[in-house]
Amino acid sequence: MQQEASDARRATAPTGARVEARDLTRRFGERTALDAVSLTIAPGETLALLGANGAGKTTFIRLVTGFLLPSAGEVFVDGLSPVREPEAVHARIGYVMETSRLYPDLGVRAFLRFAAGIRGLAGAAREAAVERAVARFDLASVAGRRVGNLSKGYQQRVSLAQAFLHDPPLLIADEPSSGLDPLQRHEVRETLNALRGRRTLLLCTHDLAEARALADRVGVLREGRLVALGATEDVLGAGDPLTLFHHAPAPETGR
Amino acid sequence: MRRRLIVLGALLRKELLVLFGAPMAYLTLALVGLITALLFFDHLRVFNQILFVYTSNATGGFELGTLPERVSLQDQVFLPLMEQLSVTLIGLVPLVTMRVFAEERARGTDELLLTSRLSPAQIVAAKFLATGFFLALLLGVALIYPATSVLRSGLGWRHLAAVYVGLLAIGLALGAIGLACSAFSRNQLVAAVSAYAAAFTLYDLGWLNPFVSDRVARALDAISLQPRFAGFAEGIVSFGDLAYFAGVIAVSVALARLALDLGKVR
Repeated sequence: MQQEASDARRATAPTGARVEARDLTRRFGERTALDAVSLTIAPGETLALLGANGAGKTTFIRLVTGFLLPSAGEVFVDGLSPVREPEAVHARIGYVMETSRLYPDLGVRAFLRFAAGIRGLAGAAREAAVERAVARFDLASVAGRRVGNLSKGYQQRVSLAQAFLHDPPLLIADEPSSGLDPLQRHEVRETLNALRGRRTLLLCTHDLAEARALADRVGVLREGRLVALGATEDVLGAGDPLTLFHHAPAPETGR
Repeated sequence: MRRRLIVLGALLRKELLVLFGAPMAYLTLALVGLITALLFFDHLRVFNQILFVYTSNATGGFELGTLPERVSLQDQVFLPLMEQLSVTLIGLVPLVTMRVFAEERARGTDELLLTSRLSPAQIVAAKFLATGFFLALLLGVALIYPATSVLRSGLGWRHLAAVYVGLLAIGLALGAIGLACSAFSRNQLVAAVSAYAAAFTLYDLGWLNPFVSDRVARALDAISLQPRFAGFAEGIVSFGDLAYFAGVIAVSVALARLALDLGKVR
């Protein structure tokens, strides 16, 4: 009986959003930043997009969030288009950006209140979400300080905290541990690792160790094209993984 | 509807926190207070000199009650001060608006806003409301000294209220123009310079009158900011003038929103 209840809870608990990109293409003038990328991320899955700087990782993220419109192709989050239903898509997304993209003049708590507010939380729900985030990311000691005066590690915690406030089914992290020291990197990985299987995670990184530690599958972008997509151990297991950024096998089909 | 108000209110609150969290806002308010004080006392000094000349025996002498109609606090102090205040707004408002969108773009925080539950229209609305609140406060400071001349000259509070509405209308119109310029740029300096150019061009197109036909001159007059303010300065609130300022605001706000949409296809 107890087992049945537990199974039922698991069946109804949110397990993440489904992301589907179909021939997703983005051009900036003459340059093609993303070229007909098709992939699916299953609910609860962690996909790491790897690639050198300028490979198209951030462009892919921006098309998923609707910050950019595609030149061709489509992308869906739980069947919703960020072009046609941006508000519904944004309600499902938590987005961890680079640490520089915060408001340096705001205090940590004020910033988190603001971030909760623009995710539609108000009153007691907003305060509870902020306090949960402060506790979860160990921000209590710096909650009264300005974001701009924090160390990079704490700024990254703030960035992570704002993305978790509304408990989104899809978390998107763009270079979440870039510029952090090894200990801070470990903390970020632990936080993201705790989500595995419970939330969908789209991780953009050029840190192979991070991809290995977190991802169920890995996709490799090179000059805007998806040149590899498969299970982490399959893509990163054989040979020197760095060569993937320059000479990669054809992408897998399906999924 | 409630959620829309929540997200709008969150951004509005943030805008005000950032605005009043920096010394620039207080410096601007202090500067406005100083400028209006200097202008006010300069006009008052000239008015007193005129009074002295008229009431001294050197001109044959006038009793205070029999001064010519145009020698009054209204004509020598209040009206010229209001005229100068409307020009001062052109100098100050772009300084207030230049950072509003350009700073978000330069820092990359526009991405946080545009991937939240805020729509582009709500983002523009919240930023316009925050700018409007600051301008209302700024004009409150600016009217402290003129208010004393209203009391002394017997113009009445209705006249002062009409002037305040006029200044607020011209300030909001300039603010909306500044927001549009800021929305099209990621550089605050470019945003300020383009706002100055647009505001000075639109302020008074009457200088073109000698070069154009009467019909075109009338049309230019109709779209200039300054002639629309003249009525308010004399205490007349006209629906046509209010509609004109509302139109300038609507067009500018629509342009700012367009800039956010264009950012997605850049």
